[in-house]
Amino acid sequence: MGKAAVAVRTFSAASLKELLAREGATLVGVGDITEGLSREITHLNRGIALAVNRSLNRDTVDLLVRLERIAVKWLKERGFRSLAIPPDSDRINDKLIAKLYHLFSHKTAATCSGLGWIGKNGLIINETYGSKLSWATVLTDAPIEPDRPLTESQCGDCTLCVKHCPSGAVSGQSWSRGEPLKRLVNYEKCRSLKKVRPRFEEKPNCGLCITICPFSRNGHKQG
Amino acid sequence: MADDARKKEILEKLKNGVIQYDEDACKEGAQEAVDGGLDANEAIFDGLVAGMEEVGRLFEAQEYFVPEILMCADALYAGLDILKPHCQQMDLGLKGSVVIGTVEGDVHDIGKNLVKMMFDVAGFTVYDLGRDVPLDQFVEEQLRTDSDLVCLSAMMTTSMIGMPKIIEKIKAKNPNCMIMIGGAPTSKELADKWGADGYAEDASNALKEAIKMVSFLRKLREEKAAKK
Repeated sequence: MGKAAVAVRTFSAASLKELLAREGATLVGVGDITEGLSREITHLNRGIALAVNRSLNRDTVDLLVRLERIAVKWLKERGFRSLAIPPDSDRINDKLIAKLYHLFSHKTAATCSGLGWIGKNGLIINETYGSKLSWATVLTDAPIEPDRPLTESQCGDCTLCVKHCPSGAVSGQSWSRGEPLKRLVNYEKCRSLKKVRPRFEEKPNCGLCITICPFSRNGHKQG
Repeated sequence: MADDARKKEILEKLKNGVIQYDEDACKEGAQEAVDGGLDANEAIFDGLVAGMEEVGRLFEAQEYFVPEILMCADALYAGLDILKPHCQQMDLGLKGSVVIGTVEGDVHDIGKNLVKMMFDVAGFTVYDLGRDVPLDQFVEEQLRTDSDLVCLSAMMTTSMIGMPKIIEKIKAKNPNCMIMIGGAPTSKELADKWGADGYAEDASNALKEAIKMVSFLRKLREEKAAKK
């Protein structure tokens, strides 16, 4: 297993991607996530981004978890390590490994693998499916050839989500990987909606910035 | 259990399940151990703990890092949860209870959780106070439970300074209680100065110390079994 002894040669993960697509993944990408990994996980520098279209009539979270297990097994069989970061809505917090989940954001894997950019609404936008995807990531030390990353926002001049946000939380700035500190969404304002409309109990968001996005509507038709 | 080969197979499955952080294998192995009438303590010590010992070695050799350790620990717990109800209390001349927590002002608890795991494995009753625990709560909990051991953890110098106060208070009320401190800013000098009985500076050392402790228990078990 000694990494230093073996010359690192990248390999294509086409067969893994095909396998995951067959099992129900809407999108699969591999990102080089070396930059910006926190110290505990620097050895896992590839992120396999998995996305499932929420407009599919299936239990999205279960599917994502199952896909992650398939990827982990595939990697393990080839002698590689992996760490599955579960979907945000499925974090079993009594596990010890759950302490590390917050070290990595699915958005990083998604943008690094070129499957999307971070929209003005602060969410991953994919060209075809918009923000209507649910994400999970498998980190691994397998030297898989990475896909081409997206580093700039593709939202252009569109400001629909800015205009329609009922709490005025979307600032309208464009994301760029080089400027990670830019505040796209004021999450306190976003959460404040909960007080006004108590029926949004579970999640802080009303989801308007998803449904209004032209890319998301595009995805809805496809689903 | 009559079939030695089968027993070996189950122990091996538990051990490898922990090393390869395979929760399903650990669950399967544990269930097989229970169904096959294998002694639960034996399954824990010669299966799960044997695996964790190897994990500790891999960590020291920098083959494994923090994520792997945590996943191994989760796999161990998956097996332990099944085996625990079938355990007989080991008679080691210790009551075996411990109060553990991360001190006020500190939310880092990876090391604490690893140490807690080894106490769980060793059959201690663990009173886990969690993280960011007010100082007096350690003292109160020790008095309430009359535990043999109190473990204090801190990752930051700023939160560590609360430790000597807790040690002093506990020792004043209950001089026999052993106190261990752990976390990056701690040292043997500080442990000595504050009157603590032991220390571990980080998660890996804490794990190593805890493995040592549990390995020692394992040896005691073997010796006892040999005498029979």
